[in-house]
Amino acid sequence: MPVLTVLPDNERVRVKPDETILGALSASGYGCRVGCRRGGCGVCKVDLRDGSVHYAVAVSEEILTAEEVAAGTALACRAIPEGDVTIELRNEHLLLRSALLRSLRTVPATTTKE
Amino acid sequence: MAILRLGYVQVRVTDLAEAKKHYVETLGLKVTAEEPGKLYLKGWDEWDHHSVVLQEGGVGIEKLGFKTHKNEDLDVIEKNVQTFGASVERMSKGESLEIGDGIRITSPSGHTIEVYNEITFLGSETGYINPYPFPRHEVGISLPALDHMLIMAEDVALNEKFFMDVFGMYPVEQIRPELDSPGRIATWLSAGQKNHDIAIVAGRDKGLHHFAFQSENWDKLLRAADIFAMDDVSIDVTPTRHGITRGQTIYFFDPAGNRNETFSGGYRAYPDRPTVIWTPDQLGRGIFSHTRELNAAFTEVYT
Repeated sequence: MPVLTVLPDNERVRVKPDETILGALSASGYGCRVGCRRGGCGVCKVDLRDGSVHYAVAVSEEILTAEEVAAGTALACRAIPEGDVTIELRNEHLLLRSALLRSLRTVPATTTKE
Repeated sequence: MAILRLGYVQVRVTDLAEAKKHYVETLGLKVTAEEPGKLYLKGWDEWDHHSVVLQEGGVGIEKLGFKTHKNEDLDVIEKNVQTFGASVERMSKGESLEIGDGIRITSPSGHTIEVYNEITFLGSETGYINPYPFPRHEVGISLPALDHMLIMAEDVALNEKFFMDVFGMYPVEQIRPELDSPGRIATWLSAGQKNHDIAIVAGRDKGLHHFAFQSENWDKLLRAADIFAMDDVSIDVTPTRHGITRGQTIYFFDPAGNRNETFSGGYRAYPDRPTVIWTPDQLGRGIFSHTRELNAAFTEVYT
């Protein structure tokens, strides 16, 4: 299962097939800043640091411009990771909303050995 | 009473097929006309041709329509706009589908407002002769009618004056920076006896905060929220009460991210009822009466 790494907290969560960034975070007990959850407000923009994403639904050019896409901006609520992805939140930290959910979807061990 | 009501809203949606599913199957609006890239809808208790127009491409508000009581009201409103100093042009029958001659105004906030008296009559689903109280086979939450909308404006005080001077509306409730301040953070305006026909909150010009549909009562709101859960509708605020207007509400989003509301209750408005004033220290309770906390979404999330 692909791994989503979230900076600046460096938290890692598993991503199920067709799950959005927001969906994977929510299912893993984490929360971040969101608005309409439908790609219409742009409140959940994050920066893609590694890997790529795609969108299963149309996203308005007014909300996410071609320049932003080229610069690695993604809408957390609609972007679906393609394999391992690293994102960086903008001026916020991940909130742990549910330790139970986090414990139920095990966080993969880091691949880098100390 | 020059303006009868908010007649229609036309909004942009990123995916018309997805939007159709939401507005028709979940909200229960009926399709009254289709054009390439456009869908015309009405609630079961509405008699005019449409109250919602969905337009494919983008997100946010394209325009809104006010229906006048009489044809002569159009001339009066046109003069009022000129006196106020906003831009106005004549629009001809058919420029907007099924709408007669009218005027098209740009508000100081940049919103396009069409004012008209004639629109094709279709009638409600229950009819007007010995009717039953609701249609026998309801779809989704079976919304009866459009109710009001909330737009964003950088200068709320100026736009409040615009709606008062041009359309003869009056403020039912206001949020002021201080009790006796001429400044406005937000305002709720009525054209008749509806609790409010349009509200304005400080934000980016041309912005759409939400448009709202009538809901019969609190039970219907609970049922609506249940159906939203079944249909994976993004709910912004689960059923609660607004301190402002006393209305009962659910905020939710259409598949493009435009905010919708189902609204019930609220009190009857009169021009001689004292305007209710809210101060910023009680704003949380004003917007959401139970949590008494203004969430970030109310002021930051809109299209």
